[in-house]
Amino acid sequence: MSAIAAADGRKYDLHFARWVYQNVDGGDRLPLCMQCGMCSGSCPLGTAMDYGPRKLLMMIRAGMKAAVLASDTIWNCTQCYNSWLRCPRQIRVTSILQGLATVAVKEGYAPKRPTARFSRAFWFSVTHFGRTDERLVTAFYYFSCGFKEGIQRALANLPIARRMVKGKRMHLGAPHRVRRTADLRAILTKAEEIETREKVSEAGR
Amino acid sequence: MSASKKYTYYPGCSSLGSATHLDRSLRAVAPKLGIELKEIDDWNCCGASVGHVEGGALPQTVLSGRNLAKARQQGANDVITACAACYLNTHGVNEKINNDVRTKRRVNEALGAADLSYDGDLKVRHACEVLVNDVGMDKLKEQVTNPLTGLKVAGYVGCQTVRPFAATAGGGNYDTCDQPQFLDNFIKACGAEALDYDPKTSCCGGSVSVYSPDKTLPLIKKIVEPAVDAGADVIATPCPLCQQNVEMYQDAINKKFGTNFNIPVVFYSQLMAVAFGMDANRDAALDRNMIKPLKLAELAKKGGA
Ligand code: SF4
Repeated sequence: MSAIAAADGRKYDLHFARWVYQNVDGGDRLPLCMQCGMCSGSCPLGTAMDYGPRKLLMMIRAGMKAAVLASDTIWNCTQCYNSWLRCPRQIRVTSILQGLATVAVKEGYAPKRPTARFSRAFWFSVTHFGRTDERLVTAFYYFSCGFKEGIQRALANLPIARRMVKGKRMHLGAPHRVRRTADLRAILTKAEEIETREKVSEAGR
Repeated sequence: MSASKKYTYYPGCSSLGSATHLDRSLRAVAPKLGIELKEIDDWNCCGASVGHVEGGALPQTVLSGRNLAKARQQGANDVITACAACYLNTHGVNEKINNDVRTKRRVNEALGAADLSYDGDLKVRHACEVLVNDVGMDKLKEQVTNPLTGLKVAGYVGCQTVRPFAATAGGGNYDTCDQPQFLDNFIKACGAEALDYDPKTSCCGGSVSVYSPDKTLPLIKKIVEPAVDAGADVIATPCPLCQQNVEMYQDAINKKFGTNFNIPVVFYSQLMAVAFGMDANRDAALDRNMIKPLKLAELAKKGGA
């Protein structure tokens, strides 16, 4: 079962607001937001988003689960920490957006978002090799857009890749990896287990 | 030279890829500054700024948990990292393990799956903070045998190196988050000119630049343009992602905005290596910049020290 109740057609679902307060990192201070707009005003991509951070935070409090999780605000956060530093109520907007990204993916709101696809590629590299292989992640990501677009994007980036190889900032061999990948995977699996276990018990509280 | 201090070094994935020049130049200058680096054995990725999206919050957290546990096995020395994202994750998790019993319990339960554990008793420090607080500008200046006289440098700090921790006790209280001075101080200590450069902590778009460059090119332009206008020979930065974004996207900016930018972007540690009279390529790794820092290379001593 998912940790948050489904929006099931309802536009406003206050359970969602409460869930965010209690479960998303930084969510505990969200009820203190006074809607001053400092966060949106200082956001480098505030105008390139569906909703600026201020508005999104209001939507969370209003329980607009589906609209929040489907918004592109989450995916355009560059994590510059402007809002974190400037919010007069010390609300950790950056953390809240990061937390919502995970929720949006888990709840199936974001299968096509580039960030979600990029993260999938990234996580593949981390769980298989324990390290990020930039070549692999980029290729995996490009081809997640479809084969044709993958080829196009890869070709478009070939000149950069060539310069990176020449500059010894991209190697040509097998991916770098940790020696004890089994250990790492055991730790990650356990972490997933703990998350599932504790979220289920919280949802049933 | 006075005795050196030992640190446990977390190089991070970019040290093996896009930021090999940061790793190489840092390792080159460290001994001269009394910094002894010992790598975390078998370290893993920190999860960067996107791991949590697919992996989830706790899996992302335990990535740093494992690194910290491994670092602790090697002793109680401070952990040092030069990558903004690695620092943010590793330092952030370390603070959380210290301040939040639930996180500490959960991380340790996960680490137990590989017979590891971590108490939270290490300090995780950014390389720049160590340079400011442990080394100090006087010691830095003492090592300069080849001052970068006449080199005009725009010091671009970026966001995450100083945010949100630089002005906190745990972060070493070494600078402000809005108008950090440390980078200009490094530049001046190396004998170069630190230009009046306003967008010190302007955002380069971070990882959003990877998938939506259309949105972030204007942000990067705001970083490059003032440097060029101020007559900079080179932009210097501490952050691997900033270095890559600001260097790599100049072509795309030129195409989109009809500009003609071609300004090299180097790490502070590359400036230091040249100023310490070390080799341009072997130590300063200048051959690894995609846009060649020609003026800096001219200043470098042939053969190095
Ligand atoms: S700056 Fe803080 S208080 Fe103001 S709208 Fe944003 S989150 Fe709310």
